[in-house]
Amino acid sequence: MSSDQDHLKETDTEERFEFKKEEKSAVKSGKGLTEEVVRLISDDKDEPDWMRERRLRSLRQYKEMPLPTDWPGMPDLTKLDIGEIVPYIRPDVEKRSGADEWEDLPNEIQDTFEKLGIPEAERKALSGVGAQYESEVVYQNMQEQWEEKGVVFCNMDEAVREHEELVKEYFMTSCVPPSDNKFAALHGAVWSGGSFVYVPEGVTVEMPVQAYFRMNSEGMGQFEHTLIIAEEGSEVHYIEGCSAPKYGSHNLHSGGVEVFVKEDAHVQYSTVQNWSKNTYNLNTKRAIVEKNGTMEWISGSMGSKATMLYPSTILKGRGATDNHITIAFAGEGQNIDTGAKVYHNAPDTKSTIESKSISKDGGRTNYRGLVHIADGAENSSTAVECDALMFDNESTSDTMPYMEIEESKVNVAHEATVGKIGDEDIFYLQSRGLDDDDAKQMIVAGFIEPITEELPIEYAVELNRLIELEMEGSLG
Amino acid sequence: MSTQVHPAVDESTVRQISDDLDEPEWLLETRLDALAALDDLDMPSVIRTPGRTWTNLEDLDYETLVDPLNAAEDKDQVGPDEVDVLSWSEAVQEHEELLKERFGSIVDPQENYLTALSTALFNTGTVVYVPEGVDAEDVKIRTEMNSRSLFNYTLVVAEESSSVTLLERQSTGGEAHRASDRTSGETASSDIEGERYYSGIVEIDAAENASVQYGALQNLSEETYNFTLKRGDADTYSSIDWIEGNIGSRLTKTEVSTELNGDSSESQIVGAFFGHNDQHFDLDVKVWHRAEHTTADLVTRGVIDDVARTVYEGVQDVGSDAWDTSSYQRENTLMLSDESEADASPKLIINNHDTEASHSATVGQVDQEDLLYMMARGIGPQQAKDMLVEGFFVPVLEEVAVDELRDDLRENVKQRLAN
Repeated sequence: MSSDQDHLKETDTEERFEFKKEEKSAVKSGKGLTEEVVRLISDDKDEPDWMRERRLRSLRQYKEMPLPTDWPGMPDLTKLDIGEIVPYIRPDVEKRSGADEWEDLPNEIQDTFEKLGIPEAERKALSGVGAQYESEVVYQNMQEQWEEKGVVFCNMDEAVREHEELVKEYFMTSCVPPSDNKFAALHGAVWSGGSFVYVPEGVTVEMPVQAYFRMNSEGMGQFEHTLIIAEEGSEVHYIEGCSAPKYGSHNLHSGGVEVFVKEDAHVQYSTVQNWSKNTYNLNTKRAIVEKNGTMEWISGSMGSKATMLYPSTILKGRGATDNHITIAFAGEGQNIDTGAKVYHNAPDTKSTIESKSISKDGGRTNYRGLVHIADGAENSSTAVECDALMFDNESTSDTMPYMEIEESKVNVAHEATVGKIGDEDIFYLQSRGLDDDDAKQMIVAGFIEPITEELPIEYAVELNRLIELEMEGSLG
Repeated sequence: MSTQVHPAVDESTVRQISDDLDEPEWLLETRLDALAALDDLDMPSVIRTPGRTWTNLEDLDYETLVDPLNAAEDKDQVGPDEVDVLSWSEAVQEHEELLKERFGSIVDPQENYLTALSTALFNTGTVVYVPEGVDAEDVKIRTEMNSRSLFNYTLVVAEESSSVTLLERQSTGGEAHRASDRTSGETASSDIEGERYYSGIVEIDAAENASVQYGALQNLSEETYNFTLKRGDADTYSSIDWIEGNIGSRLTKTEVSTELNGDSSESQIVGAFFGHNDQHFDLDVKVWHRAEHTTADLVTRGVIDDVARTVYEGVQDVGSDAWDTSSYQRENTLMLSDESEADASPKLIINNHDTEASHSATVGQVDQEDLLYMMARGIGPQQAKDMLVEGFFVPVLEEVAVDELRDDLRENVKQRLAN
């Protein structure tokens, strides 16, 4: 391994995520979800009326919609008390729309992101970086060459002001309307921060752009919104990372992601999720893909107490393609309920879903996926593959795929396997001089390799390191 | 549950059915309890995905369909001498203790609305008792329903180290005949116009080291709604193998399942279906691994044509005590028409890590290259397609160990292709 990645190896990863800063906020909303809180957020952001109206409408929808309760094997949401969550904390920084120099940030925030390795990654491998602390983006920067080509990478609050027409057209209208589900409605009411990415026609952003989300305060909710518009023939890779220190009470993360992939465009959306194990992670992510466009979702879910996340893609134009690669790792007390949804609404569309899950120490992983091939979506093909690895008998792994096929000229394949780490495999590796821990780690690393090889090397190393960390302590 | 059955169906109906069969008091009580429970029971679960319910059982017009007192049928119940193959009324007289012990022990009469309805109203059935150590083949049950509704019940008890092969066929008589019905040549005892309802519950109790093979071929008229629930309880070293063929009916909701409750027990569930016109098949295949060293193999293949719709749910549920489980599931659907729809959900529920499990499901059409290949050999397009459809069923037909059933199934496929 080159020295470039050594720093990631050497860092004690757990310490890197598990530190808390004293809470210093400029504005902090009350607990719970009331019209007053929603107005406070909107006023503090000095938003146009239409956005305030959308928030209030979302709030009304949120109040009317029921919580999902009857999904088999779903995470227990009864302990999640939205009334106790603080939805909005604006950190005390001078520049509202995000500093473009790390030095301009208060020491404790600067230190936070240093520890997480963000500035270093920015120097080495990224086109642009956004960093969100609590409810607000505190740092945002992109290399000049991309700005010159008309690429926009800014925080969502700024986009509401600077790119109002685009936001008004695309924000929670056709892709993820607040009526989609209860947490999408919640998100629509109290969203704050997140990224806006606009790639003009024909532009290829060669290095990934990254956003990092950090929750520092106890009992808060983070509701960032990401809106990506990739115009015709453009290409971009967006990476998000997230973490929080662990607290006794619950945190809530309910992000919203909307991606518009225009004709011949290509968007890759990668997530390394490492929320603390007191966090409920309930997100809605969706992409609409036009003719010959390609959408790729790559996600690693390691953290959180409970995750419910099913990135979805609507293949709207002829010849559109979707690839899903997901990996879920559930340890003690975790229920990672994740999967994928793909709607084939046009002919010649393709999708592949590859899901890998690992459960140990009583953790639970669920794969829940829906593939819908609409009448008229001729020559569509989909291949779904789910593999689960279980470490012990306290753990659970369920696979629940749903396939709805209304068209005959299709090729649909679903496959799933469940297995345990074989004693023979371990024995074989031990006979080559590896100890038990190393042997198991090696088997897991091999199991998830199809996913890590899709990520930039820094992230692959990071993901492997996180998994090693999850494996430690439980073994030997 | 607010679904209304026929206004004439009340306690007195149930008492009359039970009286006519000369049933003991406890059976009447079980029936009355089931009737009373109807109000609180839900329909059998069906899959719901955003904006869609895969099968809508609530919409059936039970009020017109359910007419238990006019039930009529033509039935054959035959078997070799070593086993008891009894009609329900005979069984009530000869095997009351057995019934008291086993009736409703595998399928809870109050599992859902339709099982309760069936328990309250069934007036025909078959009880097969296989004594210890007996090997029996060729137990045959043929039911031709000749009335608006028919509620049927089957119990198979295979004692220790016995083995039995059963073959069950359902068809429709009376006015609702179609050319495709195999039994259409027989005399109709009543003239029934319009829609009908068939309900059947099958329980199989396989004792230690017993082996039961149960083949069923459903070829009801295409105006008949069909609800069946077949479930087996497999004890140590026993095996229960099911073959489930669905050809007829307007709408079918069926579950075929095995509880592997004994160590080293095994189950194979083979399914074949061929839907056309506006038929709707909702097929559940389930296996519960509840003991050590158990094995399950679920294989289903089906073809759909015209505007037919199939819904398949397969569940392999591995309990936390089911060490050393092997569980496999395959489902393949061939779509012959653009207007047809195939929904599938193969599920794995795994609570024990000492498990080797896999499942797969595919949906596709007749392969154009295969078609071209055959046409290049001088076979006409229609014949080539028919041959490929017949060929598609071969992998499941090969799993059917009962020759007669295999031939029957093959014949049914041929007939459907000819239509």
